[in-house]
Amino acid sequence: MSDFSEELIRPTTEDEQGEPCVRSGSGMCFPWLQKHIESIASGGKQEKDFAQTTSACLNFIQEALLKHQWQRAAEYMHSYLQVLEDTDSNKRQGAPEIVWRLGSEILYYHPKSSVETFNTFADRMKNIGITNYLKISLQHALYLLHHGLLEDANRILTQAETWRYGEKSSSQEVLVNLIQAYKGLLQYYSWYKKKMELSKLDKDDYAYNTASQNMLNHSWKTSINLCTLIQIPGVWDPFVKSYIEMLEFYGDQDGAREVLNNYAYDEKFPSNPNAHVYLYNFLKREKAPREKLISVLKILYQIVPSHKLMLEFHRLLRKSDKEEHHKLGLEVLFGILDFAGCTKNITAWKYLAKYLKQTLMGSHLAWVQEEWNSRKSWWPSFHFSYFWAKSNWKDDKTLACEKALVAGLLLGKGCKYFRYISKQDHQALKKKMKQMKKSVKKYSIVNSGL
Amino acid sequence: MAGLEGWRGQWARSGATRALLHARASAHVGRTWYNCRRMCPRLRLHSSAREVSLWSAPEAGLGGGTSCLPGSISSPARGGGSSLLCGCRVEGSRARVPPWGSLVARGSGKRHAEVGFPEEHGATGSRAPEAAVQFRSLRKARVTVAPVFKMDFPSSLPPSLFMTGPLGQSDVPDLSFMCSWRDALTLPASSPQGSQDSAPHVAKALLWEPDMPGPLPLLPPGPDPWDPGLTAKDLLFRGGYQFRRHPRAVLDVTEQISRFLWNHGDIAFAPLGRLLLENFKLEGAHSRSKTKTVVSVKRLHQDLGGHQPWGCPWAYLSQRQRRFSILGAPILSTSVASLLGELLHEELALRWERLLLDDACTGGALAWVPGRTPGAGQLVYPVGGAMDTLCFQKVSLTPESEPQVLSDPGRIQLRGPVRQVVTRSVQGEALLAVRSDHHCGLWKVSTQGQPAPLQVLQVDKGATGISLSPHLPGELVICSRSGVVCLWSAEDGLRQIYKDPETLVFRDPSSWRWADFTAHPRVLTVGDRTGVKMVDTQGPPGCGLLLFRGGAEASCQKGERVLLTQHLGDLGPESLHPMLHLICTQFSLYLVDERLPLVPLLKWNHGLRSAPLLARLLPPPRPGLPQPLLLASQGGELQLLHLAGVGASTPRLVGLPQSLPTRSDSLSAFPLLEPKSHRRLQERLKAPTVGLAAAIPPPASTPVLSLFQLSAAGDVFHQRLHLRADPGPNARAPAASWTPQATACCSRWLEALLEVPLTPSVWAAPTFSHRRLLGGFEPQKVEGPVPEGFRRAMAQGRLLQRRDLGLLPTEERPPAPEPGPEDELSERLEAAWEFGAAAWWERQRGSRAGPGKQPKRHKRRTQLSSTFSSLSGRVDLSDAASPAPSPDHTLPEARPQPPRTPPSQELTQEPWAQGVPSERQQTLRDYMAELPLRTDTPGGASALSSQTPSVRATPSRQHAPQDCTVQQLPRGDTPEGTTLLSSQTPSVRATPSRPHTPRDGIVQQLPRGDTPEGATPPSSQTPSFLATRSGSQRLRKKPRMGF
Repeated sequence: MSDFSEELIRPTTEDEQGEPCVRSGSGMCFPWLQKHIESIASGGKQEKDFAQTTSACLNFIQEALLKHQWQRAAEYMHSYLQVLEDTDSNKRQGAPEIVWRLGSEILYYHPKSSVETFNTFADRMKNIGITNYLKISLQHALYLLHHGLLEDANRILTQAETWRYGEKSSSQEVLVNLIQAYKGLLQYYSWYKKKMELSKLDKDDYAYNTASQNMLNHSWKTSINLCTLIQIPGVWDPFVKSYIEMLEFYGDQDGAREVLNNYAYDEKFPSNPNAHVYLYNFLKREKAPREKLISVLKILYQIVPSHKLMLEFHRLLRKSDKEEHHKLGLEVLFGILDFAGCTKNITAWKYLAKYLKQTLMGSHLAWVQEEWNSRKSWWPSFHFSYFWAKSNWKDDKTLACEKALVAGLLLGKGCKYFRYISKQDHQALKKKMKQMKKSVKKYSIVNSGL
Repeated sequence: MAGLEGWRGQWARSGATRALLHARASAHVGRTWYNCRRMCPRLRLHSSAREVSLWSAPEAGLGGGTSCLPGSISSPARGGGSSLLCGCRVEGSRARVPPWGSLVARGSGKRHAEVGFPEEHGATGSRAPEAAVQFRSLRKARVTVAPVFKMDFPSSLPPSLFMTGPLGQSDVPDLSFMCSWRDALTLPASSPQGSQDSAPHVAKALLWEPDMPGPLPLLPPGPDPWDPGLTAKDLLFRGGYQFRRHPRAVLDVTEQISRFLWNHGDIAFAPLGRLLLENFKLEGAHSRSKTKTVVSVKRLHQDLGGHQPWGCPWAYLSQRQRRFSILGAPILSTSVASLLGELLHEELALRWERLLLDDACTGGALAWVPGRTPGAGQLVYPVGGAMDTLCFQKVSLTPESEPQVLSDPGRIQLRGPVRQVVTRSVQGEALLAVRSDHHCGLWKVSTQGQPAPLQVLQVDKGATGISLSPHLPGELVICSRSGVVCLWSAEDGLRQIYKDPETLVFRDPSSWRWADFTAHPRVLTVGDRTGVKMVDTQGPPGCGLLLFRGGAEASCQKGERVLLTQHLGDLGPESLHPMLHLICTQFSLYLVDERLPLVPLLKWNHGLRSAPLLARLLPPPRPGLPQPLLLASQGGELQLLHLAGVGASTPRLVGLPQSLPTRSDSLSAFPLLEPKSHRRLQERLKAPTVGLAAAIPPPASTPVLSLFQLSAAGDVFHQRLHLRADPGPNARAPAASWTPQATACCSRWLEALLEVPLTPSVWAAPTFSHRRLLGGFEPQKVEGPVPEGFRRAMAQGRLLQRRDLGLLPTEERPPAPEPGPEDELSERLEAAWEFGAAAWWERQRGSRAGPGKQPKRHKRRTQLSSTFSSLSGRVDLSDAASPAPSPDHTLPEARPQPPRTPPSQELTQEPWAQGVPSERQQTLRDYMAELPLRTDTPGGASALSSQTPSVRATPSRQHAPQDCTVQQLPRGDTPEGTTLLSSQTPSVRATPSRPHTPRDGIVQQLPRGDTPEGATPPSSQTPSFLATRSGSQRLRKKPRMGF
């Protein structure tokens, strides 16, 4: 019991014990402050030999690990285990976590370690001290999962799920939820396999009924496991994805929508682009009206204007009847091409060239000018420089042509990019070039300004 | 009065107490303190230019920060090719091709022949893009695996909990508790097909192996001495607290101040005396006559100042002084101690903070500028004792051998220590940005490798970071200590983007700011110790989105602070992670995606033992392999992380990060040394790392990585690593060992290092008259090379070597015992060496009874001589590592032995003692001489600024920075060109609030190595600057020599 009460004190004494972390006057923590102090301190409480050897040993292990000398690290680890019997209670409490962290690292990489070794180590470590049980169980399960041992992982998670100690702290609760969610994920995995099998079976087959019955059971269990965690703010992409898949399979569209809406729009959650993507994909599957899709993508556009769904968004907007959507469609295209990683996105350039022409033909010069005003100071050197003209022409002639058209429309035929491309002689693109020159002459916003 | 303004700003920022104190203490105390800063030996105030200008500005009228201006260009800096700067309006620069100065010839005439410097280069400037295209296509070929949509967002992110709250919230389960391999795990959900087992095993085995056990010096050590500076020992209280559980850092002000008062009593007390210059009455008995109670301070001054016998200050205390000190002690000690003490404490605290974390070199001052071919390039780094010469060293890399250093480096003399060097190739154009404490400069590097200056910006409050845009050529962002972030581009000039004197998330006293670019060319990140924010430069000022928050969101610990942020998409548009940002704290490393702010995608506990201030991401060495990410800490530790995850998968670490050898690991490659030199070498190798660069030489069978490090001592070290991709389960790395070439290289380097003179030591009171003791040997003059060499060795305080005795060095073999004087120990050792110890013992036992006295005497004699030689070693004042003994113990010893011979005679004979007292006296005289001149200079400076026309009206004028006065200086290629600047070229003054501040920020580009007088006749606008330049240089440099 005395051990346990020590464990309970731990959170309060954590500040005190922190020898690696001494804070300076500014409130900043310097892990290397101790080294400085040790270089001069003559008085103070002398570290015991034991503490000295264990800390030296710890350093050796870390060094060996960072040099990928697994064998050496394992040898030192063997000696380091004595730290678990430190008489200094603070250190003794911190030790299991360090031992676990380093030990699992070594066992993961060591060429001679096996799953059995890891199992033994994890089982031992779980029961030394109480604070780490859940964490270690979770990692243990992940390790097993990684090695394809799903049943074992499931067993570990089930054990951990029911584990309780003392009053439930919130951190414990989150961990339990996480463990349950991983269990749910495992169940989803087996469900998925069954679904695959089922899809192969004939509906009239006798086996079909039992199999679908099985699946039903699974889904019920899983939904409990998954839905608690999803309520907690966080990024739970894999869980949400699998949960939705199952809900959809059983026809619970409303439930799925609610979960996704919550995941995407709850203020407490971080603004996760995937939440919107999932919602959009769900609505698309559901064949939701275009308005609805547009409203979802509009939010995604605000978060990530460079997302690849934005091209789809543009198509939706283009097809829409509303004028403001048409305007937004132009904005979206400009928005994509603002990003450095999208400069060579041929689809986006193609869309822009086409849509720009279309917009100008539809005499919406003001829209173009509105977009262009904020960009005219940097797009010329960002997209339409002489360098890019040369390099684009060399790498991708179609891209160069599309860009040249846009450059001509926005900057007039005097711009470097357009001039360079239009001077090039290329048989296959001759017709296109001619067309391009014509449209530039006719629609360029620079001309119309005159 | 800009100097004063800036100076006050700094002053005020450091706290109300300081300002108050200043007001109270008036000019005299200011001087005292100024003196103290210049003279106090224990403080060893290496001047960063900022400090000097801070302190000297109001008195000397130097104006804030004159001392660090980019100077002349000595390397063949050909102008031209400005047309490469697409869209940049820097007309007129191409026309002025600088004449080839004498230094140019010195720089590298050879190089021109070799490159075949084309005349047509100036005419079209079209070669550069071509070459760059070649290079780019090469690079592109290497990364063809990358999908077209590099902007794909990962379709499924790793699970993580999102908690809001302050740092170190105890009840949050830190999901990053997971080990490094967590990231390697694939969940069944993400790959239901189940191919989990195959991929990670390959990844596990990735390892970069060093060719040698440690890095090797690439270049010979510089000619300037280097001083390791302060250590914790100098600053902290050494006594122990018996009852503390853990020892704490306590600043030792008492010792510092007592030392100061002992050694520099005149400086400490003289200003006070000058204040009381008239006669004053000391309370004495009435019966005494007036002559005994009234002391003339003038006389006292004379006593103290003029003929102070420096050999031993306590030897000739006059009666007057003694009386004065007894009577005046209560007054003097309190006033001096209280005024000085407070300032000293502040200073010590500052030093201590800097020792714990010196953020000046964040980002690193070493850069690799790729050349025309993938194997060639230039290293750009600062050299010189003050790190104020920018060096362009051409290096050629081959996959098979060590890098070749080509020809003499080009040099550009700047007028401030270089803190950061950034380089970037944008649209085929290599740009180089340099940050000094108060100035930032931008150069363009042509394909031939010639730098041409583009712009100089002045930052009054001190620049903390500079970044070059990876998107637009020539665009850069600067942040200053006042919390202002400015964007400079050729089109828009200077624009203030962001201003916030407060920190982002919570209050933190640090004024460190950082800024970088993002995947969107118009969005910047702005960071400080507490977090990182994304700011849209086109949006309304002040708004933005937090990208990283020091808090529970990233499960930060208590006391965790941001030390470095870096955009990882900086490899140009080909970058695999255009949206990722690296954020380093003292504990962990975070990777954050711009599209998912606040939630780190990856967290790794780096465990470095000093601040990680340098990071470099490299392109994948081979398509499909993870990208190496190098992380270097100030203490020299290096870590290499393998960053994988392209496109739709989340970034993750492949395998466990590995640590690379540090410079200290190279110690074994150096030859054995006597302890003193060994310690010097060790110190040199341990110097903080201030720069990191890496390059991947042209593709070879095994990918090779060349790693360069720059140390604070100015040494560039190099290491080659090769990739061992699949070593198999049991293969152990054959331990790398030193090759003969490596050891030869090291000993050459060491030889050069030992020839570098030590830092002239500061003055210290001699503890006893060693000269007399040495002199004791003088009478028995024995001529001949042996005693001569012996005496010389003793005088220099080094070990006696064979060559000193005029003996030819014998061939290398294990040191056999030499027949020495007959003493028991050496005999015994000799016997033991020849395996005859037992026999010797027998012999000894037999002879013990015999002759008793004779050998004993011998023994005593040798003991004595050995004490002696060790003693002469200790006396050597230049040995910075041995702490000067505490005055309390040593002074009583010193008193009874005043030097008998006049010091001057001795000095000529003993090199180690030369110049020590005179140096100090000289400094003192300099100082005294300058005192009356202090106030009258600013007039000239303001004259200059009024003539500098503010011509250019930038469209962003309304955004002109108000606080951080960044002054733009026009481009000029030639030294001559710049002198014309104020009349011919526009200069934008971005300070509407202070239109007539004397701007010393005028670029004075003087030909390197020239004295100011030797420069081409400067324009009439800048007389004061030139007048003060030599002074400022002296002020700046002197302290560096050892104060």
